[in-house]
Amino acid sequence: MQFVGQVIADSLLLGGIYTLAAVGLSLSFGVTRIINFAHGEAVMLGAYGAFWALTLLHLDPLLALPFLMAAGTAAGYALFRLVISHLLDAPQENQILLTFGLALILQNLALYLWTGDQRATTPDYALNSFLIGGVVVSYGQLIAAAMALTLVGAVFVWLRRSELGRATRALAENRRAAVLVGINVPHLYALTFGISVAMGAAAGAVLSFILPITPFMGADILVKTFAIIVLGGFGNVAGATVGAFLLAFAETAVAYYVPEGNGWSEAVAFAVLFAVLIVRPGGILGQVVAE
Amino acid sequence: MRSLARHVPLIGVMAVLVGAALLQDPVLNDRAFRTATTIMLATSWNLMVSAGLISLGHAAFWGVGSYACLLGAAGLGLPVGAGLLLAMAVGAALGAVQALVTGRLRGAFFAICTLAMAEGLRVAALMLPGLTHGAEGLFAPQALRPTPHVLGVLGALLAVASVGFAFWLSGTRFHFAMAAMRSHEGAAQMIGIDPRRYRVAVVAMSAAMASLAGGVSAWYGGYLDPGVAFGLQTTITAQIAAILGGMFSVGGPVVGAIAVVAVGDATRGLLGGVQGASQGLFGLILVVTILFRPRGIGGLLRRARA
Repeated sequence: MQFVGQVIADSLLLGGIYTLAAVGLSLSFGVTRIINFAHGEAVMLGAYGAFWALTLLHLDPLLALPFLMAAGTAAGYALFRLVISHLLDAPQENQILLTFGLALILQNLALYLWTGDQRATTPDYALNSFLIGGVVVSYGQLIAAAMALTLVGAVFVWLRRSELGRATRALAENRRAAVLVGINVPHLYALTFGISVAMGAAAGAVLSFILPITPFMGADILVKTFAIIVLGGFGNVAGATVGAFLLAFAETAVAYYVPEGNGWSEAVAFAVLFAVLIVRPGGILGQVVAE
Repeated sequence: MRSLARHVPLIGVMAVLVGAALLQDPVLNDRAFRTATTIMLATSWNLMVSAGLISLGHAAFWGVGSYACLLGAAGLGLPVGAGLLLAMAVGAALGAVQALVTGRLRGAFFAICTLAMAEGLRVAALMLPGLTHGAEGLFAPQALRPTPHVLGVLGALLAVASVGFAFWLSGTRFHFAMAAMRSHEGAAQMIGIDPRRYRVAVVAMSAAMASLAGGVSAWYGGYLDPGVAFGLQTTITAQIAAILGGMFSVGGPVVGAIAVVAVGDATRGLLGGVQGASQGLFGLILVVTILFRPRGIGGLLRRARA
């Protein structure tokens, strides 16, 4: 088979970024039990943030990234405290529709403010590539993937080691018990949500030099992150990582080997989602998705 | 059977809709037609949410109905009536498949599958130009196409039929089975309801209704491409109308559909030049309604009357 090395390299790089987007969504769901249908919009806003930082302030996307993450944490925290927390005990239908409505508002706000034109950030490294063993590797993708995996690793360590991270895991396991041992639940919920938004924004910033930026890019990303999470099992960071690389591999393979594969690769997430649900509703790592 | 007197307003509204479609006034006819298809969509969406199933992919049903009608006409020479029957059959089949594939998934997991299905169908329609004419689009054969006025009246009658169907359903044991499923599928099972069978039936009925609306709308518009057929706008309209009017009732989606079409027209009139104004406004309506008035306009009216 031709291109095997290239397919593997491309899917490893893409998988890194997918991991970042998916782990963010998985984290907020695991703790708050609310699925954020506006997570794709966090990615979209992160990408626009990187674009404007470069265009207006001549700030490299990687340098803008910490600022974007800080802004994402603050915005996510506020949004959760002011809006989403009101529906913590509401029927799940209402939670879905609320976050879906927020996504609509953000998409159209972006369309209004920045028009529907496709944009891209073009730092120097994004345009260069090197050849290794017959495989072309773009510096942009390599940097993006490395950055993404570093951030995922940082969150993982934070969850394992820090006091707040341990409190977060306790909260995910048992909300009532967490209250009993004196954990500040509203604060921690909002903080987790903020961190999840920040991870989305970071994914957007690194995607900004790989994918075209548009107001509606979030919907695609949402379906992809869901496919990843269903693949890996919900609320499972390790599973999400495996799922991300599997989806990236499937998409890349379709793009290379199927005729007109570039167009079809957009439907891979959908096919994967349905295939997993039919064959193994618990996800590949065996966690139950159905309630 | 409950007394009909309580439903006089609803019957009146539907009569006005048919009347508006019958008059010789193209602007009014057009608004009546869009209201009629929105009523069908919202009623269809409400059927699913009444069983606790959130659809974020009604565009899938609408789209296959549209394509069934226009491809049936172009390829097989099917007239409007036969095409609409085909649309309903295809829609019901797709709905049944969706319900079977998603098995026992609930809530967000079900919702995301519906979204993915609509998106997957859009990509497939784009990538299979041999079947759908792809991005180039597909025109309704003019020889088979009735006048907009006739289609407008047909649309209004189909809306009446859809609301009538929902009303009939609300008096059967189906209604109570769905309410039980919405609260707790496990409990529903314990009182002797097989959630799986009911779920397939609900989704198939809801899908057939949305496909019918998509089919008649495709004839009315006369043109179809993957973006028109499977656009997110359809899904959004379906849910906003049902939520704004009030979920879980027969009249709610009707009230909501009228409001949504009016709001859409008003924003186009006032803010026509502003990109994304009507969709953004719909998002805002969605958020505000869910936060402050989860029972919608219908809930307000009911409280005023009580």
